[in-house]
Amino acid sequence: MKPLQDLARQLLEAGDVKVVIGYQDGRRGVQPAFITDPAQAERLIFDHRCVHNLATYVSPRRGHVKRLGRAAVMLKGCDARAVAGLLRESQISRDDVVLIGVRCGGVHDTPDVSGPLTAETVAPRCHGCTVREPSLPDHLVGELPPAPPVGRDLDADVARLMAMPAAERLAFWTRELDKCVRCYACRQVCPLCVCERCIVDKTQPRWIEPSAHARGNLAWHLTRAQHLAGRCSGCSECERACPEGIPVHLFNHFLAGVVRDAFDHVVSDDPEVPAPVGAFRKDDAEEFIV
Amino acid sequence: MNLYQPHLMRVTERIAETSDTVTLRLAFQDPSVAESFAFQAGQFAEYSVFGEGECTFCIASAPTRLPLIECSFKTVGKVTKALSRLDVGDTVGFRGPYGNHFPVDDWKGKNLVFIAGGIGLAPVRCVIDNCLDRRDEFGDVTIVYGARSVGDLVYVRELEAWAARADVRLVKTVDPGGETQDWDGEVGFVPTVLSDAAPGSDNAVAVVCGPPIMIKFTVPVLDTLGFSPDQVFTTLENRMKCGLGKCGRCNIGRVYVCKDGPVFTATALAELPPDM
Amino acid sequence: MSTPLSIKHIDSAQLEGLVAALVGAGTTVIAPARRGDARDTVGYRAVRTMAEVVLDQRPDNALKAFFLPPTDPLLHYERKGKDVTLTEVDPQIAPRVVLGALPCDVAGLPIVDRVMNWDYRDEPWFGRRDATTVIALACDKADDACFCSGVGLAPDSPQGADLLLIPTPAGFAVEVHSDKGVAFVAQHAAFFADARDATEVQAFRQRIAGLLPHAEGLDPDAARTWIEAHFMDPHWAQLALACHGCGACTMVCPTCHCFDIVDEQEGVTKGTRRRNQDYCQYGLFTLHGAGHNPRGDQGARIRQRVSHKFAIYPDRFGAILCTGCGRCSRSCAAGIDMFEVVERIAGLQATLDEEAPTGGEL
Repeated sequence: MKPLQDLARQLLEAGDVKVVIGYQDGRRGVQPAFITDPAQAERLIFDHRCVHNLATYVSPRRGHVKRLGRAAVMLKGCDARAVAGLLRESQISRDDVVLIGVRCGGVHDTPDVSGPLTAETVAPRCHGCTVREPSLPDHLVGELPPAPPVGRDLDADVARLMAMPAAERLAFWTRELDKCVRCYACRQVCPLCVCERCIVDKTQPRWIEPSAHARGNLAWHLTRAQHLAGRCSGCSECERACPEGIPVHLFNHFLAGVVRDAFDHVVSDDPEVPAPVGAFRKDDAEEFIV
Repeated sequence: MNLYQPHLMRVTERIAETSDTVTLRLAFQDPSVAESFAFQAGQFAEYSVFGEGECTFCIASAPTRLPLIECSFKTVGKVTKALSRLDVGDTVGFRGPYGNHFPVDDWKGKNLVFIAGGIGLAPVRCVIDNCLDRRDEFGDVTIVYGARSVGDLVYVRELEAWAARADVRLVKTVDPGGETQDWDGEVGFVPTVLSDAAPGSDNAVAVVCGPPIMIKFTVPVLDTLGFSPDQVFTTLENRMKCGLGKCGRCNIGRVYVCKDGPVFTATALAELPPDM
Repeated sequence: MSTPLSIKHIDSAQLEGLVAALVGAGTTVIAPARRGDARDTVGYRAVRTMAEVVLDQRPDNALKAFFLPPTDPLLHYERKGKDVTLTEVDPQIAPRVVLGALPCDVAGLPIVDRVMNWDYRDEPWFGRRDATTVIALACDKADDACFCSGVGLAPDSPQGADLLLIPTPAGFAVEVHSDKGVAFVAQHAAFFADARDATEVQAFRQRIAGLLPHAEGLDPDAARTWIEAHFMDPHWAQLALACHGCGACTMVCPTCHCFDIVDEQEGVTKGTRRRNQDYCQYGLFTLHGAGHNPRGDQGARIRQRVSHKFAIYPDRFGAILCTGCGRCSRSCAAGIDMFEVVERIAGLQATLDEEAPTGGEL
């Protein structure tokens, strides 16, 4: 903890950054922290409760965070993939942010669970993690903890759904999306949802119905997943943010598999690696044309 | 049905005021509504194109000219564009009247000064015509109206009618650079022209409406001319939906524009938090 | 605490029979129950039998959806040439009973009634209110997000309830708190027995007395004073830093009632005008057609939410627009805690009060 706090203090005192975005203890668990005063750097912590993907706070949509000035942001390896996405798409430039990577042994699915990780509490995003020591950041803090316990597996969740007959799968999603109230929490927490005017907010013409009925809800979620295909960093914050407990991240995870199979591509934490959408290779598969 | 059910109106005339401003003249389709409908100058309504949505505008015609209902609007979005595409005979939804009104009865015997800029003339025009239809109840009537350019002036027919009246003093102006060769009005910003016209503040009320920047510079001019904030009235607009105080959208602090307004004195305006 | 009009008792067998009788007669019974979804959540939904009802877990979703649905048809329209015909949405709300609802959910209903009745009576809202008999269940499920007792309510508050159930060893004491409740008990007299010993209810009340120690000292009046005098305070921008602007807090809130009205086509000539839940936390909520947005940043939007609940609504309607249910805090992905927010603001006011004592105190 101390190296992290010292680093934050130094960055702020040197004037390199105006705000350090990290984690702090709240009354009911861990919360994101926005440290602007070097004396407050001692609030910063990192432990198994730090599930939030803080990359979303350096997205260009966050005007009120941007107003504070140049930011340093704490990133787990999975979070770094999201920042890589923002860099890849020129949404932010490398000079805009200082990246503080943290060596990570997995996190609980919610920020209020104390104690060690168990197979039941560990977040699904940790399954099969290969980025416990993120490579993108400018600084790296913390000791490398042991690997997280093997818990929920999104591949298995998707496989279970795909094994259902189509009618049963449709019934599953109808039941889930019946709960959707169109709060757009899934979109708001997503670091890669950066459109200044989201397609669902456009009115001329109205592409997607805003009403919270089955038809509108399905259109919204499928469109969002489509727009994130090949870009989604797999952080599952959308699912955590959903107040109705809808496993929306499964759409994204499924499409990540489609992108992997069709384009031999998985979302990378190296901003130089181009994504299928937005990059053209002469050997791109073109079965749908020819 | 329920309180969100609109009356059905028929478009009887469509007037292109400027390149992006349209006036629609409307008539109630139901004769019993036409007979019984009443409103007071300053109130607004929710107008709709079925299939596109609802939109909030003041009722731009005077209550003395019922059963005529008129609305004027700038085409800025989905519903206004749909309204601007309507033609004579088309159906428009109308929900209202909502909000408070200009306290015209309190102004009996007073001199009236109307100041407007651009499309801001629309909510003022209803109260101008209302007062002119009751002309002998009031003292002097002064109208100061301006727009960015000659092409941006609205209610050109009304301007001519007011200019032709001996009992109305009309001062029209366009911003410097907005005049045409045959322009016969003033050239200058509305606050400046108002200052030059210098209507008296004794036993007078002023009604101001226009773009925020115009209001910002006009209010001090009125102050210099001796108008107290209680003598100055304006009408606000804010993003609205229900028009009747329930959807939680139009409030500025504790003030609901749809219920406590849209007409406010400058005194009330000064007390509003800067949530505008 | 309002005195009940009368007290009865109902045991589990009688409750089972009551639900069966209601369902059999075509009455919809809404209660907390497992929703059979991926996360196996408990939420308010229509049930067929008492066996489905879950009373020992807080329901995830808001009861509000049954009175102000996320999307609610207002009227249908059909265009024929230049003409339009309007048809009303079927106004018949079948009689409903809400059973076992949390007092914090139920208390929100009469609070929202006040704005829904402000000069214009909102028929879609009151149609549902009038058709519903509300049976609340006194609550012993408080967690650290709850703060009902900090806003003038309590885990056993009867506000908004026609009947309030209080657990006893043999079932539930039934406090009758409205004329509708009186009529309900009379209509279903076969399922209600005479009240049992008052000590049973007292025992429950004692058990829940200390459940919200953190909430007891909350001073919403101080918060209101501070809010009314600090519109432009940098505190709002600070509070908004973590906020995603996602609106989850408003969706799950029993008292957030704001909405949008949209037209939706169903085919080329027909469509429905709908009322959709819509909230101040969204960037587009106050966006003018011409492009100006008076609440263009999240600080202004959070200020609106907090001041609407703790200053504006109390000012205009005489009630805090919050029941302390804690759902907003639980659903916030950014860990913003409403109790903490109000406590901090009340604390800011307390500091001001200390620094500037009135002349009389010296």
